[in-house]
Amino acid sequence: MSDAKGLKIEQTKAISLVTKAAIALALSGGVIAATTAARADDVPAGLSLKGKTIGISVVGTDHFWDLKAYQGQIAEVKRLGGTPVALDAGRKDAKQIAQIQTLIAQKPDAIIEQLGNVKVLDPWFKKIRTAGIPLFTVDTATPQAINDTTSNNWEMGEELAVQMVQDIGAKGNIIVFNGFYSVPVCAIRYDEMRAVLKYYPDVKIIQPELRDVIPNTVQSAYSEVTDILTKNPKKGSIAAIWACWGVPIEGAAQAVQAAKRDEIKLYAGDSGPDDIKLIEDKNNPVAAVIAQRPTEIGKTAVDNAARHLNGQSVPSFTFVPTIMVTKANVQEVKDKLGWGL
Amino acid sequence: MSLGPAATGAVQAGSPHRDRPQTARTARAGGIDLMIRVGAYVAVAVVLGYFSVAAHGFFSLSNVVNVVEQSAILGILAFGMTLVVIAGGMNVVSGGIDLSIAANMGVCAAVFATSINAGVSDPVAVALTLGAGLAIGAVNAFAVIGLGVLPLLATLAVMNVCIGAELVLTQNTVISAASPLISLMSSGTFLGISVYAWFLIVASALFIVLVQYTRWGLRLYAVGAHREAAHAAGLPIAKYQAASYVIAGLCGSLAALLSVARLSGSSPGANDNLLPVIVAALMGVVFSRRMVPTIGGTLLSALFIGFLANGFQLINVSSYWVNGVQGLLILAVVSMTSLTKRAGT
Repeated sequence: MSDAKGLKIEQTKAISLVTKAAIALALSGGVIAATTAARADDVPAGLSLKGKTIGISVVGTDHFWDLKAYQGQIAEVKRLGGTPVALDAGRKDAKQIAQIQTLIAQKPDAIIEQLGNVKVLDPWFKKIRTAGIPLFTVDTATPQAINDTTSNNWEMGEELAVQMVQDIGAKGNIIVFNGFYSVPVCAIRYDEMRAVLKYYPDVKIIQPELRDVIPNTVQSAYSEVTDILTKNPKKGSIAAIWACWGVPIEGAAQAVQAAKRDEIKLYAGDSGPDDIKLIEDKNNPVAAVIAQRPTEIGKTAVDNAARHLNGQSVPSFTFVPTIMVTKANVQEVKDKLGWGL
Repeated sequence: MSLGPAATGAVQAGSPHRDRPQTARTARAGGIDLMIRVGAYVAVAVVLGYFSVAAHGFFSLSNVVNVVEQSAILGILAFGMTLVVIAGGMNVVSGGIDLSIAANMGVCAAVFATSINAGVSDPVAVALTLGAGLAIGAVNAFAVIGLGVLPLLATLAVMNVCIGAELVLTQNTVISAASPLISLMSSGTFLGISVYAWFLIVASALFIVLVQYTRWGLRLYAVGAHREAAHAAGLPIAKYQAASYVIAGLCGSLAALLSVARLSGSSPGANDNLLPVIVAALMGVVFSRRMVPTIGGTLLSALFIGFLANGFQLINVSSYWVNGVQGLLILAVVSMTSLTKRAGT
């Protein structure tokens, strides 16, 4: 549960107004070409970081996503022959600031910053740039960064919605968790889902939508879904349940199973290792989740820094492709996720 | 703790049969005291010496100023804690301690940031912040001295109140704040040293004078270490102890001003500072001649903790080591202090 929760919290913090501007820019299509050009797997050979020091500052590594992205960066810096100065602030803003302050004095060849609180970090991002150190970020949108490497949330939202509509035969009532529309990544995934549903008028969202909460996400989702199932006792009256992340879906799956409503299929716009296990379980109603690849994101951020240090241009954003995991492909894609499952 | 010259004299004037062993024991205790004191300085010198060789630019002015800046919040909170420990005595269970001091900083930072955002001018926001800190200190003083609750429990309760109040004010999110004072504190410099670092320098000087060089400071020590004697001498013990909590509360709010400047607002997690503050205040003991808490000792400890984190980063040793090293330091200090006490009795 912690990975998705952590992701949510961090992304809430990370994405600010600045991000919204960037999102608008990305939507305008300016970034799309760059995105394809900077896919994760096409790092040209010879992008050496030999003799280079790369500072890596992360606000914390206590969540699955954060830790994997952090480790991905360290491993890639070493693989390319560089020296990582890797700093984990233990989820403390003040500590991260102190580490960045000392890092600036160390004058590394580049600094990669992952998540954290943009409002707190912004003045320090400026100090990094003033000191002439190139700044790269992981899942943190800021105009100070040369490149931000992250997942493509538009694609995630759209892909999942299409899968859901297909699975339920383009008709039926769906339960939607929408408690975190204030979190930009959730808003993007939700809006993409709505955009898909617009063309399938027979798929209806049950009103009012449910509110997923933090903490007690699983328990709360369980009781909310149980209530709706009680109100809609007829089999087939509900076709699917959707949430922008995995944790409420875990509670919803328990409620669906307890109510013996096996016809209902569940979908999550983001996931952690626990959700993949639910997909693997043939009797579990979770049908599809989107999996991000944090290790790959970390690696790609380093590759972008390496490109820049070797005189190549890098796009402002790099989207690392996500993977949709379904009951059909789960065994096949498990290894590809790089989650060590 | 050393018996001190007066007590030693009293022992020596006692029975001639017990004279020699007591003197020998006292001398041994004095020797251990000296060893610990010198040992502490030597340990610090060795660690800093190693960093200065291994880490390029460790003793450069800019790096030292960085460390002073990074230690400012810890230092000022630890000064407050030191005062409380001096006035309440060093007994771990019943002695003076202010567990609310870091949470106090959190709620005061929230007060400062929210009042700035509410359109209040800098002086008024500062007054509100300092007022909040003083009020929290006063509540601690009332609970400990007025109601007679153990400081450990009273301040623990107040800590929880502060954490709750901060959550209510901030909804557990970052509250950005910008004002002329905040910019001055975060980016101003004087004589090439940042305003932020000056804060710690000036606060250290003021506290050293207050505690080590005034009659008030001397009496504060008497109240904590020799309660009966202080009472017999007619010192108003309650007033001194109450003052220590109120001043600690003020330290919480001063640190809050620094914290808001440093983090561009109020950010959750202020209470994470509590353990480092306790470490700095208690570890400071080994730097004093009589093995008592002093402002100078606390300052050295706070800076040492800052230099450790900084040095490890400069030589690229994982930040995970710093926690372990801090733990070992506490253990070393506590065991050395116990050792001296045992040798001295």
